[in-house]
Amino acid sequence: MLLDELKDTQVQVLSEIAAAATNKDINDIRVKVFGKSGVLTTLSRGMRDVAPEERPKVGAIINEVKVAIEEALSAKQAEVENAELLSKLESEKVDITEPAQGVEKGALHPIPRVIDKLCDICVGLGFSVVEGPEVESDYYNFEAMNTPKNHPSRDMQDSFFVNEEIVLRTQTSAVQGREMEVRKPPFKIVCPGKTYRNDSDATHSPVFHQLEGLVIEEGDKVSLADLKSMLTILMKRLYGEDTEIRFRPSFFPFTEPSIEVDVSCPTCHGKGCSLCKGTGMLELLGAGIVNPKVLELSGIDSKKYRGFAFGFGLDRTAMILNSIGNIKYFYKNDKRFLEQMK
Amino acid sequence: MKVTYNWLKEMVDINVSPEELAKKLTSAGFEVEEIIYQNEHLHHVVVGKILKIERHPQADRLVVCQVDIGSEITQIITAATNVFEGAHVPVSLEGADLCNGIKISKTKMRGVESNGMFCSGEELGIDENYFEGAGVNGILILPQDMKPGTPIDKALMLDDVIFDVGITPNRADCMSVIGIAREVCALLGRDLKKLNLNYDIDIYAKDTVRDYVDVEVKTPNCFRYIAAAITDVKIEKSPLWMRARLNAVGIKPINTMVDITNYVLIEFGQPLHAFDQKNIGGSKIIVRQAQQGEEIAVLNHNTYSLDENIMVIADQEKPMVIAGVIGGMDSCITDDTKTCVLESAVFDLKSIRITSRKIGVRTDSSARYEKGVNVANAEQGVARALHLVSKLKCGKIARGVIDIASKKNEARNITGSVSTINSILGVEIPASEMVRILNALGIVTKCTGDRLDCIVPPYREDVENDYDLAEEVIRLYGYDVYDKIDYSLFENASVTEGHHHPRLALERKMRSSLAEHGFFENVSYTFGAPDLNKKLLLSDEENLLVRVENPLGEEVSCMRTCMAYSLLNNIAYNLSVGNKDIKLFECGKTFRAKSLPVTELPIERNMLGIAVCDAKYNFFNLKAEVEDALNMTSCEWKIERSAMPFLHPGISADIICGDEVIGSFGKVHPTVCKNFDLPENVFYAELDTGYLAALPEKKYNVKAISKFPIVDRDLAVVVDEATTCEELIQSIKSSCGKLYYDVSLFDVYRSEALGENKKSMAFNIKLSDLEKTLTEEEVSAVMKKVLKALTYKFGASLR
Repeated sequence: MLLDELKDTQVQVLSEIAAAATNKDINDIRVKVFGKSGVLTTLSRGMRDVAPEERPKVGAIINEVKVAIEEALSAKQAEVENAELLSKLESEKVDITEPAQGVEKGALHPIPRVIDKLCDICVGLGFSVVEGPEVESDYYNFEAMNTPKNHPSRDMQDSFFVNEEIVLRTQTSAVQGREMEVRKPPFKIVCPGKTYRNDSDATHSPVFHQLEGLVIEEGDKVSLADLKSMLTILMKRLYGEDTEIRFRPSFFPFTEPSIEVDVSCPTCHGKGCSLCKGTGMLELLGAGIVNPKVLELSGIDSKKYRGFAFGFGLDRTAMILNSIGNIKYFYKNDKRFLEQMK
Repeated sequence: MKVTYNWLKEMVDINVSPEELAKKLTSAGFEVEEIIYQNEHLHHVVVGKILKIERHPQADRLVVCQVDIGSEITQIITAATNVFEGAHVPVSLEGADLCNGIKISKTKMRGVESNGMFCSGEELGIDENYFEGAGVNGILILPQDMKPGTPIDKALMLDDVIFDVGITPNRADCMSVIGIAREVCALLGRDLKKLNLNYDIDIYAKDTVRDYVDVEVKTPNCFRYIAAAITDVKIEKSPLWMRARLNAVGIKPINTMVDITNYVLIEFGQPLHAFDQKNIGGSKIIVRQAQQGEEIAVLNHNTYSLDENIMVIADQEKPMVIAGVIGGMDSCITDDTKTCVLESAVFDLKSIRITSRKIGVRTDSSARYEKGVNVANAEQGVARALHLVSKLKCGKIARGVIDIASKKNEARNITGSVSTINSILGVEIPASEMVRILNALGIVTKCTGDRLDCIVPPYREDVENDYDLAEEVIRLYGYDVYDKIDYSLFENASVTEGHHHPRLALERKMRSSLAEHGFFENVSYTFGAPDLNKKLLLSDEENLLVRVENPLGEEVSCMRTCMAYSLLNNIAYNLSVGNKDIKLFECGKTFRAKSLPVTELPIERNMLGIAVCDAKYNFFNLKAEVEDALNMTSCEWKIERSAMPFLHPGISADIICGDEVIGSFGKVHPTVCKNFDLPENVFYAELDTGYLAALPEKKYNVKAISKFPIVDRDLAVVVDEATTCEELIQSIKSSCGKLYYDVSLFDVYRSEALGENKKSMAFNIKLSDLEKTLTEEEVSAVMKKVLKALTYKFGASLR
């Protein structure tokens, strides 16, 4: 009698478990079966009426039923929980195409960025980075650079004057004299910084940036060929490994021989484009062997030492590297321009 | 400097095309910036002879002309009224593309065929000065001797090719056709043809130059003065060949005498001046410095007041010419000049430069004198001019010249070294090749072993040593030799240690961090308007302005004394173009004069400036950025209330290191915001990066950490408004004693319930012991002590 009831209960409960869909259903079944007045609890009390010799057998059956139900319950519970987790995950789905959140990033300005890059390259090549004043004496800006007062080569640059003896430096070359006075050869220096010329139109800004390089060595270690090697490396690091350079004659009062350096156009790689006006080359640097008069003016024995120097405009470099079409963008500091440098 | 192909051909046998020549000149350091073909717009234009003129059957204003154009008779319709049968006129035919943009093709006009167009002088790009009749309103009537069918560029001598050559300041000798011709000779391996310097003198005439003029030089700034006299002067139009040359290089032909002086100026680079002899007071030329206050009316129709820095050519009464720059009205050549005195002089380049700058006049003469005219040049210049007078038959030349020279310029002997030159160039050029090149350049060179003995001609004052010789050699040998050089050669260099610049390196860290935090880096002009201090409420006495004497404009005439000026302007600009939430920074220099007027270099300070205009931003956000930047250095700083005039007095702080204020930050003062057209929620910070970069590198000193857990407790106390967070934290810290690990403020609360001038401050206190786990009793004891101290010192009560 009891055994039949147990069997029926097992079948009944297992089918209820199979039909359960939520955790609550499972708990309800658990209470209904194992609670104080649960089905199985009630049936277990029926053991009192079973003959003593039958009790072990009935007890074992009760236990079997209990285990079967419990197993079914926990299996069902795992199943339900898993389903609930899946549906929870499903409901938490986001639109992954919405914009990223967090602190909006700013950006570095293209010119200081070029300065950073060049300093890294040049330090790697054994150059030390130096600086000089932007409001400079006429002496260091011109005279020490072999450009005496009222000399025709002063016409090459329109200066801003503070007075007869003080100018806004027209070239970072102005650091050459300062450094040569205090350094002992051999040395290699570069000087990045602001320069000023009384000139403002579509392609000229009265404030602009240059990088000056100076190498002073014992005489036979420096030649135009060495200058070519150095500048080739520098330009390759700056514009890419397939960059090539070419020399053309020029004149600067502080170098002799003086050269202009053409660099293969980084945009078209020499094929010709609108940037290089179809020539495949861009006129980017001025350079040369340091004029021995400049060495002597700064107290370096030109019989014993020789040097080379180079200089170029960083605004132009930044324009080429970032395809910037208008030099005036640099100094307006419009957020719409700067945002593009992120 | 403009020179023409034909002009050069007169001095050198040129066997290459104009394009090839331009390429060679450029590769030798004479950059041909432009090649201008004079006949660019004259193709398909020929001389025509009008044979017959008939009325147009359909139009009253038009006539139908039968025109002989050499190869055929063609029909052309014109509305011009100055044509006549038998007239020679320029005819543009199909395919012509005139300088005013008109393109010619065969058309029908009112049903009648027209095969071209007659041209005016203007349509050919010439004026009355160049060719008689070219200025009339109508068709250019050509001389009868021009053969029909002749291309017009040939007929009018407009077939030259003009090179616009950039001359570097070291090559003043090439500010002339002959100078460039010498280079062409060297480039092509030719000899310079001798120019005709001969002139006829009437052997029966008795007069000499001294019968017309005397010269006295009273200033050391005149190195040479040559005067010649020409009588029976004929002032008329100079011949077409001369006008053609002058016109090609952009000089307006005027009359024989003036054209001759200009011709020699271009050809020889020797400025000349022609005086009307009758206007030379006392028939005496005196070269002297002007007297203070002397005045002269010159050819540009201005009158200048002179001083002793300006050299003049005077007569016995008055200045006649501002020496080397511009001639006076009173003594110049006019149509009724009968006797002319010709000056060929050389002046100190500095003197001319100073004068030209001072009066603001630059002429073809001053441009050459400023760069330096060779003393030897004056003699050849005057001879060439007299030759031209003779050739043009425009006057009789008096015997002799007056020649006063205080400076000589002769060929110099220098020595060079083949091995040194090669070591400068870093290539191996054979000695024989050097000798060939230098000789071709007119530097007479002999080689003995390694030694070069050179005779440098007077016009090459720029050649002095091995470096100069190296440049001469390589620019003709060809810089393309370097195209083949392998770049690994820099191996020759000594090993040197490269150092970053300490300040730039520190700034780079700060800049990167700011960019990470949403700030945009700026680079601004370093100058501003004279009221830049005033706009920032800064005093001009404490921030002495460095003024630029020749600014581009008043608003950019002073160097900034504070980064705020640039950054606040940049914010204003960004707002004006509709940008929002603006966070900017810039590393740059500020400038303060040491004294006024400026006698020494100003104080340049390297500053980091930060500026924010963002509704959600506050003082403490800015403080975080400042602390971030300071934490990159070893700086031990404290903050104090700031008295910086452009900051809000209650919402600003100075950063103090030692005794120095090395920066400030806070909300921008509302008056300053108004001055810069800004809203009021603007924040600004600045740090002296130069100071910070000079501090020793930041060192870290790591203490032991406990293996027992940290205990934390929150504590909120109500205190008076005046009590500062810093004071409370210091007290808590000392009460915790050796169990102190950390304390931080996490909430500030104000309400009516708390009462006026009261605030609640909630702290999170962390305790730790290196030796053991803290018990509840130990923790409560510390917390009691903390509260007791706060109550005692600040009247704090537990909230």
